[in-house]
Amino acid sequence: MIDRALLEDIKAHLSNALGEQKVLWENADLLPYTKDTFRNPPGEDFRHWPDLVVLPETTAEVQAVVRVAAKHKIPLLPKGGGSNRTGMLVPIYGGIVIDTIKMNHVVEVSVPDLYVTVQPGITLKEVENHLAGYGLALNQEQGSFKVATVGGSISTAGFSRKHQKYGTISDRVMSLEVVLADGSVLRTGPKVLYTSTGYRLHQIFIGAEGTLGVITEATLRVEPLPEAKEVVLGFYDDFWAANEAAQRTMATSVTFVGGEVYELLDGSAWGAPTGKNGVFYVALEGTKGEVEAQVAFMKKIIKETGGVLASEEDAIRLFGKYTEQWCGARARPEIDNCFTTVVPMEKLREYYDRLWNDVMAKQGVLHVPGVKLWLDVGRYRMAGGRYFIPKGGEGWTEYQKAARGQAELATSLGGSISGCHGVGLEHRDYLDLEYSEVALDVMRSIKKSLDPDNIMNPGKMIPSRKRNHH
Amino acid sequence: MEFCCGKSKRYICHMFAASWGSRIMNPVCSARLGNMDSELDAAIRTSEMCSLCRCGCCKDECPMYAEILEESISPKGRNVLFRALSQGLISPDSKTVRIAYSCLLCKRDEISCSAGLKNAQATEAFRQYLVDHGIPLLSGHNVLVKSLENYRNPWQESKAARKRWAKEFQDRRLVPGKTKTLFYVGCTYALDRSLQESPRALARAMEWFGEDFGLLLDLETCCGSTAKRIGHKRLFDELRGENERRLREAKVHTIVTACSGCYKTLKQDYPELDKEVQILHSTEYLARRIRDHRQELPPVTMKATYHDPCHLGRYAKIYEAPREILGSIPGLTFAEMSSSRELSRCCGGGGGVKTAYPEISLAIAKKRLRDAEATGADALVTACPFCVQSLRAAAEATGSKMEILSLEVLVWRSLSQGGGQRN
Repeated sequence: MIDRALLEDIKAHLSNALGEQKVLWENADLLPYTKDTFRNPPGEDFRHWPDLVVLPETTAEVQAVVRVAAKHKIPLLPKGGGSNRTGMLVPIYGGIVIDTIKMNHVVEVSVPDLYVTVQPGITLKEVENHLAGYGLALNQEQGSFKVATVGGSISTAGFSRKHQKYGTISDRVMSLEVVLADGSVLRTGPKVLYTSTGYRLHQIFIGAEGTLGVITEATLRVEPLPEAKEVVLGFYDDFWAANEAAQRTMATSVTFVGGEVYELLDGSAWGAPTGKNGVFYVALEGTKGEVEAQVAFMKKIIKETGGVLASEEDAIRLFGKYTEQWCGARARPEIDNCFTTVVPMEKLREYYDRLWNDVMAKQGVLHVPGVKLWLDVGRYRMAGGRYFIPKGGEGWTEYQKAARGQAELATSLGGSISGCHGVGLEHRDYLDLEYSEVALDVMRSIKKSLDPDNIMNPGKMIPSRKRNHH
Repeated sequence: MEFCCGKSKRYICHMFAASWGSRIMNPVCSARLGNMDSELDAAIRTSEMCSLCRCGCCKDECPMYAEILEESISPKGRNVLFRALSQGLISPDSKTVRIAYSCLLCKRDEISCSAGLKNAQATEAFRQYLVDHGIPLLSGHNVLVKSLENYRNPWQESKAARKRWAKEFQDRRLVPGKTKTLFYVGCTYALDRSLQESPRALARAMEWFGEDFGLLLDLETCCGSTAKRIGHKRLFDELRGENERRLREAKVHTIVTACSGCYKTLKQDYPELDKEVQILHSTEYLARRIRDHRQELPPVTMKATYHDPCHLGRYAKIYEAPREILGSIPGLTFAEMSSSRELSRCCGGGGGVKTAYPEISLAIAKKRLRDAEATGADALVTACPFCVQSLRAAAEATGSKMEILSLEVLVWRSLSQGGGQRN
């Protein structure tokens, strides 16, 4: 926490620099910044408070805030939509939250060069709506697409279900403007999709969780809107039967946008024949002729793998669930958490079997019905699931053991701990399962070089050496 | 179930802490919440759920958030604040009041929430909590309350002024036990001179359809919607009591109202009334009468779009009736706005925002007007006096040529083409 007298000085200084309306310090205003969607230990909903929140509108205003923080070594937390799952935005050391939600403008759309330059606080949905007017699309569809911002998505290396054809946000970034921890402005490179000069500086800010600087502008690759769009969906006996079809599809050269495999609790409510609760779908986009051919190809695969084709209407309904179910997902009396991991496909069955029958069962952790097995199909092949955090005195400890167990299992099979939600606080202390001490030291060196006083979102993502070596 | 402290059997404050087995003592919360009713209990539960989740999807398409762009000015911001207040973590202050009243109660956010959180209901309860705890109302709202207390309408008009719109209908005074249908006009349609064409149009249309209806004229009392929306439950209960008595004494079978606010209030906030008497919004009533008429209506040549009032749309789910009426008028071309029905954008006139924060209300109304203009329509038709007021203010401020009118006025424009005589 900032010393009271200093806080008053900083308030006055920032109010002068940004305008009074854009500096918040009263309790009622600070409350929404006490945490993101992270699962806190019980009773800790309001444990961590920022000292101040600022709402800059320009890069110069961000610079003004960073310079004050740098001068007094005050923690800074850059914030986008606030929807992070892993505690990236929990102000564990207080400090100043740089809320970028007022930096929500489109700076430039280039139709011939197929890019858009935006401020970081614009949501993915707003970018898509804006680009549609130019016949373009960013094609980033994550569960939190209605609320996640470009800056937040880049900082989390957010997933997109359209990854197979269009990649994730990590693949879309062409150039960034970043205010570094000393207040200087870094332009990572020209607004071009490809260059063979120098380090790819923008890459180190992807998934950096605000620990290296504040992204103030992003140039992103866009695509022309497709002429045709279709969803082909098949119902199967169970997840594994549906997964067979998915694996077969991934082994072909068909170009699909993305897809999923999962199990419905009651498929009949979604038009599935009785007992056919496994779902496999792919989304297809392109020219009309292309999509027609892809639809025919996918229907053949579904038929050959024993799937029952869903009607167009049911397919569209189920397709819509992806973003709909994300909103309000954690507003339930039964407290649950989710994992989003990436494991080699040939280990998928072993992973899930050991996860639910051994790792989770040992801690008394049960899956959420209907969300036990789930795969985002395509080159990024992210596997996930949801589980209840056990109640009772030891519940939290059991949950933490189970979460670590999941990470141990995924990494032991050659996979990654998190394919979607970042590290934040949730996975920080066992990041050494995935990265060697040498790799972590390189991360620490980069961090130290760009942020020597450790003011940029301190305590997130990178485990401390001391913690690792005890 | 554990209780949060020994003073009360209320457990809600720390229901979740209790479920984890950890006990957090908080001597403030239960004392504060000791006299809460079920709506407040539900609001506390909503605030707990939202505080656990914090996804923020409610910010998407929230008109107030879009104008102000602060985390606290959103259903999430309000829920988290109410959670902290009800836990006794913080005390109400002017910021609390600003956050509590910066909501249109439009329910647009609830469409996106897969958990089905009732944020608008929670916001009303939050406001009630503040009023019950002696937190002063915003000055604009105070004026409304004083007027309701003195004149039984929020617009500082005398009781006698209520019958001014109805000079040609003075013989329609309701005779208890004899008249079967009551046209309940509502304060805004009855008292805002710029809107009085609407009740007149509906009354004329009802006569045209041969309806034997009555009016309460100066004996009509505010439904209490304004009081309820700003959290003044005592006053609302008083007005509701008066209305229920009068409406029971009237012994009518059907109540028709053209005000979406009155309709929502009578239908949903008077728990018993809807069981005793049929309550119809004028759009439902007119759609039925036009259907029963079985003959083509006289034409009105125009291109029109329709704005769904929040109280009629998302609250009462009446989307078809107004569109059916528009579709039944020959010569009228209908164009839907990009956001309509349950996804409709609020006009900015709801939840007491227009009184408390008129500039923000106007900015929101301008956006809705732009939606309408984008359809290329000549006229924006709606079914609520507050929507007409807000959208007309936006049209005036922007110099828009778009005509803003209520559906009753449009229907009468059609019916009166034949000289106002039934064919």
